[in-house]
Amino acid sequence: MGHRTTPTVNTVLGPVPAAELGVVAIHEALLSVVPGAEHAWDVTIDRAEVFETLAAKLTEFRTHGGGTLVDRTGMFHGRDLRLYEALSRTTGVHLVASTGQGPEELLGGYFLTPQTNPPTPWPAGKFAELFALEAAEGMVVPRVERRGPAGLVATAATRAGMTATDESLFRGAARAALATGVPVSVRYGADVRHDLDVLLDEGLPADRIAVGDLDLDRDLARAAAFEVAGRGAYAVLDHLGTEGEGHPTDAERADLVAELVAAGHGGRVLLSVGATGVAKGHPGNDLPYAHLLTGFVPLLRERGLDGTRVRRLLVDNPRELLTVRAV
Amino acid sequence: MSRVNTVLGPVPAEELGLVAVHEHIGYGMPGSELDTRWWKTPEQRYQETVPKLRRFHELGGGTFVDATGICNGRDPDYYRSLSAKTGVHIVACTGFVGGDTALAHFADAEVDYLAAQFVHEITVGIGGTGARAGVIKVGVSRGGRMTDLDKRIYRAAARAARATGAPILTHLAIDAENAIAIFEEERLPLHRVLFGHVDDGVNADKTRDVWIADQGGRIGFDTFGYETELPDPPFWARPRRERLDHFLRFIGDGRIHQVLASADANCSPLGWPGVEGHTVNYLFDDLIPDLRAAGLDEAAIRTVFVDNPAAFLTLQP
Repeated sequence: MGHRTTPTVNTVLGPVPAAELGVVAIHEALLSVVPGAEHAWDVTIDRAEVFETLAAKLTEFRTHGGGTLVDRTGMFHGRDLRLYEALSRTTGVHLVASTGQGPEELLGGYFLTPQTNPPTPWPAGKFAELFALEAAEGMVVPRVERRGPAGLVATAATRAGMTATDESLFRGAARAALATGVPVSVRYGADVRHDLDVLLDEGLPADRIAVGDLDLDRDLARAAAFEVAGRGAYAVLDHLGTEGEGHPTDAERADLVAELVAAGHGGRVLLSVGATGVAKGHPGNDLPYAHLLTGFVPLLRERGLDGTRVRRLLVDNPRELLTVRAV
Repeated sequence: MSRVNTVLGPVPAEELGLVAVHEHIGYGMPGSELDTRWWKTPEQRYQETVPKLRRFHELGGGTFVDATGICNGRDPDYYRSLSAKTGVHIVACTGFVGGDTALAHFADAEVDYLAAQFVHEITVGIGGTGARAGVIKVGVSRGGRMTDLDKRIYRAAARAARATGAPILTHLAIDAENAIAIFEEERLPLHRVLFGHVDDGVNADKTRDVWIADQGGRIGFDTFGYETELPDPPFWARPRRERLDHFLRFIGDGRIHQVLASADANCSPLGWPGVEGHTVNYLFDDLIPDLRAAGLDEAAIRTVFVDNPAAFLTLQP
């Protein structure tokens, strides 16, 4: 009899059987710190206070049926692994943390103007190695130690359009995903088709890719979501609860989800609030993680999506994405 | 009253002694902390650093100015322990080595915000460490011309220097026309600015050191020891004799009261391999003997290494 390995997901407390994840909030932020803000004279990061705030939000999420939350802020935007481990133990919510970084403007000079002559920015291969080590050997507490392996690679393109270094980040993320079996999550820049093509060009299967920010722009949301899902990648509506100023309403988002499901894309849609649990150095938002369940799911039910279909969006799809593939 | 901010508190300038005015306990580009290839245990970092500082002290060194900018691995708590245990005064800086070492939070900031950051670190302290910065670091990004961000940092530094009396120390003195225009607009006397790295192998030919000095700026020959004669020289290395001749020529024209000298060495580099064999003690082992051999008397050596830095580092509010 052959040995069967249980499919698992990398959480901050170690591998967890994929079947245990439950409802997943796929694109969220726990502690979100603009790079450099930790050195700012007017920014205080009281970790006990951060813990209390995040624990309350995670507990609320769990109370309403949440099981797992993914922090997709990457390795250089406030990630605090020991805090997340304590939060997961305390609240019972599975927490998945990410490696990766970007877009270009958020990188440190080590990657952009290294101490070489000329100062050539990092190529894809070096980013791939950096990210793959975090997914295979553990995420870094800078200059101290590695903790548990990352559950995904997260990166983003510059809003105005993908830069050369953004492309290196995307290609590096794709290669790291191929090498380690974790998925890639990206925010696209100006052209969703182009940016997705960069990942596919590395040979990464479409079903290992989640593309976010699709529901940010009211006018572009529909076409972008159909583009991504139609090509077999996961279309993530990750601004649930953010309305006005050019954003779609939640009602419009729910209409779009119903359309996607009706068109046969129900297996390629993911949903999240994009909440910033605690923000430092930027305003963030004060949305509850639980809005996914308390605010948005009722809109889906109103549109005739039954329990099985909703479960597919909140449980099955993210489980498939987050399950570490054999390499 | 003469006051200089060290990481362990203010000291009288008269106590500084011989000063190495542009050095690094450990420098790394922002983000290098994520790359485990450079990591060292605390034991290794102390092991690489303490003997160099102890030897510096034994040879007559009094004060070590650390020119590591805000996002470059600057670590005042560590500097405090090193200072307390070795007896070397350590001056930490606020500011940035160049715009390309300022992370997004600062890169997107306005001049007044940057100035408030610098003033806070000079008058209140760096983070929660209680250590106050004694000098403001600014610099020119890679590429040879001041970027818009470099200019905002220079302007903020000038305002903070005026508000606190702290001096400014620059990384590179190329594109000095732009730098001096900003200092003049902000009404900062140029003797409060040390224009550094006029002597490095890449930039020496492009640096208008005499022109800067004629307007009252202080001039830093502060990459002594980065020599092409080294087994594995960095790209900014320069032939030893050429740098020394440059320095002697410069002070020979009556500018000895405007020069400062240093080695820009890393005790224990943070995000790069460093340069094997190059330490702050080049000043004692090589430079000062070279200067004596060239005919400088003890008074001249005292001017360069004691009196000039004391005047420069003294807070002048």
